[in-house]
Amino acid sequence: MLVERNDVRYKDGMGETMVSVRDFRKRYGNLEAVKGIGFEVARGEVFALLGPNGAGKTSTLECLEGLRAPDGGELRVAGIDPSRHPRKLWDAIGVQLQASALPPSMTVDEAMGLFCRYHGKAPRPDLVDRMGLSRKRGEQFARLSTGLQRRLSLALAVAHDPAVLFLDEPTAGLDVPSRAELHALIGELRRAGTTVILATHDMAEAEKLADRAAILLAGSIAATGTPKQLTASGRQRTRISVASERGLLLSTDPGFPDAERREASEGYVLYYSSNPASTVAAILTWLEKAGDPLADLRVERPSLEERFLEITGAKG
Amino acid sequence: MKAFLHHLAYDFKSVLRERSKLLMYYLFPLAVFLLMAGLMTAVNPFFKETMVPGMILFAVMSATLLTLPGALVGGRESGVLRSYRVNGVPAGSLLAIPSVGALVHMAVVSVIIAVVGVGVFGAAAPGRPAGFVAAWLLSYAAYAGLGALMGAAAPNQNASTLLAQLVYLPSILLGGLMMPASVLPEGMRRVALLTPASHAMNLFASWGGMAGAGGPWASAAVLAGSAALSFGLAGWIFQWDPRAQTPNRRSWAALLAVVPYAAAAVLGV
Repeated sequence: MLVERNDVRYKDGMGETMVSVRDFRKRYGNLEAVKGIGFEVARGEVFALLGPNGAGKTSTLECLEGLRAPDGGELRVAGIDPSRHPRKLWDAIGVQLQASALPPSMTVDEAMGLFCRYHGKAPRPDLVDRMGLSRKRGEQFARLSTGLQRRLSLALAVAHDPAVLFLDEPTAGLDVPSRAELHALIGELRRAGTTVILATHDMAEAEKLADRAAILLAGSIAATGTPKQLTASGRQRTRISVASERGLLLSTDPGFPDAERREASEGYVLYYSSNPASTVAAILTWLEKAGDPLADLRVERPSLEERFLEITGAKG
Repeated sequence: MKAFLHHLAYDFKSVLRERSKLLMYYLFPLAVFLLMAGLMTAVNPFFKETMVPGMILFAVMSATLLTLPGALVGGRESGVLRSYRVNGVPAGSLLAIPSVGALVHMAVVSVIIAVVGVGVFGAAAPGRPAGFVAAWLLSYAAYAGLGALMGAAAPNQNASTLLAQLVYLPSILLGGLMMPASVLPEGMRRVALLTPASHAMNLFASWGGMAGAGGPWASAAVLAGSAALSFGLAGWIFQWDPRAQTPNRRSWAALLAVVPYAAAAVLGV
């Protein structure tokens, strides 16, 4: 059941709460950037924070990461109040900031050694290899490509085995193999019990990785739930694309049940249906009777991106 | 402690890797030293007396005033300090490590200047080397403190450069680096007491057993007070985020660092 309110708890049956946000508020002068939101994230859960620029994602993340103080509400990360015990917090969390920044002359190995030592842990050369940086260990940060800099910052964020990992636009600037590697790593971390808070503009990524997502809009939670719940709750209908050998549907509209014929392109006729089962059955029956064999049939439910655009378009 | 030492080792190496630091720590002060030693000894008879402490102080100022503040401000503006913060690096380390790292480099430069100045250009040698080293350490601490404070207080790179020049240029012109402060007119001698260099040069002369020394203890107190006040204020003002995101109202407190020098100028000590 989709919950559309500013206080969201994870579904029953999940484990220990690792991130708890209650009536959280953040102001910048006269601007109320976050207006009393709440959510909880369980151990081993991947929770996505989605929203357009200025929605309050970064403010929420930065307060949870101990980088800013909240103006109201209660925050707990791994049982720690971020604004009261930030040093304790930083050993419990890993953070990949939106902008990767290290001293320009610091090498990959030096960065790994330095940050692990500040966390009181041994360096993790295996992570350097895992992130495809084994040949770049002696390379200075400024000489790495943007993608390699992002990979290094991710390796540094997870090197001390944090209980909660914050990822802000983790795949921005990454090529396809690096993105796939990152997604695999997040999956492994999740299975190992790491809680992940993911802020991203990439809806496909959120749909693929997140157990639950919250869509923030103008400082409030506009919608939340699993990606399937979010997409199912929208007004968008299922898209059915049909191509037949003789193409009879391109010139005829028989009027299928619960469906609206929208457009025809590249030999396909598109229908948007509120009841795809009955619409598909009717299409197949009609084609058989017309003696026009089916060439291709695709049924696509609305994507998270379409639902996101629907929400932000309606309320933004 | 392991993390601090690891960080210090990186900072030390960064000077040798980054051209701008290498230039300001070694090439620029040593080139100016060679130029001044070659030219000034011919036109300024006092210069042989002040060459070694004066050019050492020039090198220290180049590192601490012209390099340290910009590095700290640049790190804040580029987000490097944020990366450090979320990985648990303490603010104290970020203020102390560049100063300690630069101290080692400045010790090397100072030895080069002393050996070449005395051996090649006939400069006056310190009569009491141990006292000279003590004066060097106190002078370095005062300038490193000012550099850290400027880095903490300056809102951007341009402002840090301007603040540095406010101390750097008067120190060179009035601090007794090129000629003894005793040759300045009485009024200017009072003004010169506003610069850390005048107290440092006095201490080099007094503790180092060189000519033209005044009473050392007032200068020692001013430099020690300045170092403690500057580092303390830098720690209080220090901010991780760029000023464009979060203005820092504490920055104005940096002006308190002038107090020891103003007191010396008023009292004429």
